[in-house]
Amino acid sequence: MSSPVKKPALGGLTVREAMRMQVVGFPGSSSIDTGVRSLIKHKINALLIRDSDESALGVVSKTDVMGAYYASLPIESPLEQIMISPPLFCGPDDSLESALHVMRSRKVYRLYVSGDSSGKAVGILAYPDIVGLLYGYCRSCEQSIVNRRALKLTDDGSLRFRVKEVMTPAVTSFSEDDSLLEIMEGLSVNRFGAVLITDGAGTPSGVISKTDLILAYKHGISADVPARTIVTRAPVRSCDQEDFIEDAIRTMIFSEVHRLFVHRGNPANIVGVFSLSDAARVRSGSCHACVGSRIRIEGPVSS
Amino acid sequence: MFTARDVMTRNFHTLSPDSSVAEAGGAFMKAGEEEQRRIFGMMVTDAEGKLVGMMSMYDILLFIRPKHIQVWGMMDDIDISGLMEEACSRAKSVLVGDIMTTEVITVSPDTAVMVILDLMVKKHIRRVPVVNGEKIEGMVYISDLFHRLVDMLVP
Repeated sequence: MSSPVKKPALGGLTVREAMRMQVVGFPGSSSIDTGVRSLIKHKINALLIRDSDESALGVVSKTDVMGAYYASLPIESPLEQIMISPPLFCGPDDSLESALHVMRSRKVYRLYVSGDSSGKAVGILAYPDIVGLLYGYCRSCEQSIVNRRALKLTDDGSLRFRVKEVMTPAVTSFSEDDSLLEIMEGLSVNRFGAVLITDGAGTPSGVISKTDLILAYKHGISADVPARTIVTRAPVRSCDQEDFIEDAIRTMIFSEVHRLFVHRGNPANIVGVFSLSDAARVRSGSCHACVGSRIRIEGPVSS
Repeated sequence: MFTARDVMTRNFHTLSPDSSVAEAGGAFMKAGEEEQRRIFGMMVTDAEGKLVGMMSMYDILLFIRPKHIQVWGMMDDIDISGLMEEACSRAKSVLVGDIMTTEVITVSPDTAVMVILDLMVKKHIRRVPVVNGEKIEGMVYISDLFHRLVDMLVP
């Protein structure tokens, strides 16, 4: 029997420990085209819109840019036309727990961090930052899969969370013949970041994400074209529902994706989606040893 | 007067904003062979040959750099081949026009060399396109400028 896990309680973590300091911002008069270039170049999901004295006015996320594409807005339009206002803030000394609570209850994927009442953002906190921090703790734990494998210790896996326990057990797919407009409607209704694309035989053939759609917008591709025009025919990035979430999180962080499709048995049989926000629900890590001693796991988000 | 015209190279290569990042990588290598120097930045021109941006080694490195590097920082078993595979698959669908720098500093053939030197130091740039109206005349590289000036220092 291995010894109990010894590490600091994650419950005491604050926003400061997980946040990123680099906030990419633009004046509201900058074009959507400029904004898209920045989203792609910096591999980020949202831009902060600031006024001339650097105060935060609003946020433009990939979802908002996709909305502009859907509405056939000229890509030269100013960002202020599609921004969501005001931005939501948290403080650097707030607990991660409370920040996560705000993100979940307000259904947002990121909070800006403000040091004082000036309205200026000093940092940003999003799901990948939180999951990344938690993963770092898991990684350094003597119970972690990587460390146990390295020491050639056996592990019956009974302590560990598996993907099926935390995934969203539903998947939305579209055919290669469906138009980008239909796909955008599907993404918007289901609040997904990406959908599965299937070929004529119903076999998964690729994925279309919001990033693919905003690139299509930037490349001047009409939103009426069928999905097959832009789908990248790469193998669908998926994991087995029996995989440990520690491994699945690693794959997501590695592959720079926010979700993995989950298969049962074979990769053609997709049964769910495991996203970084699902991973953030397992707040204290990926292993029962850790969770049992501290933090409860929340149920799926009710919408 | 010693101007851009005296230190620029007329032997330059350009990229199209519609090329993929993967194709741009190949163009960097090819231009390097033809210009007989290592190329760390190229001008991006539209169909009419007008300068629309610059693509630098840094832009490509930003693209390859893992996104969640703060998480990887502490790890020593990062599989670089896996990361490169990811970057390669993205490099096919992202275009030069998506990540190039559009705010480009240019000079004219008559700009004084010392003005260019000052620009390069202040703005931390290593190459400056030389344009005459909308026509590209050449490129001033910091290394060429350095060698020309150092030549004069040597007694």
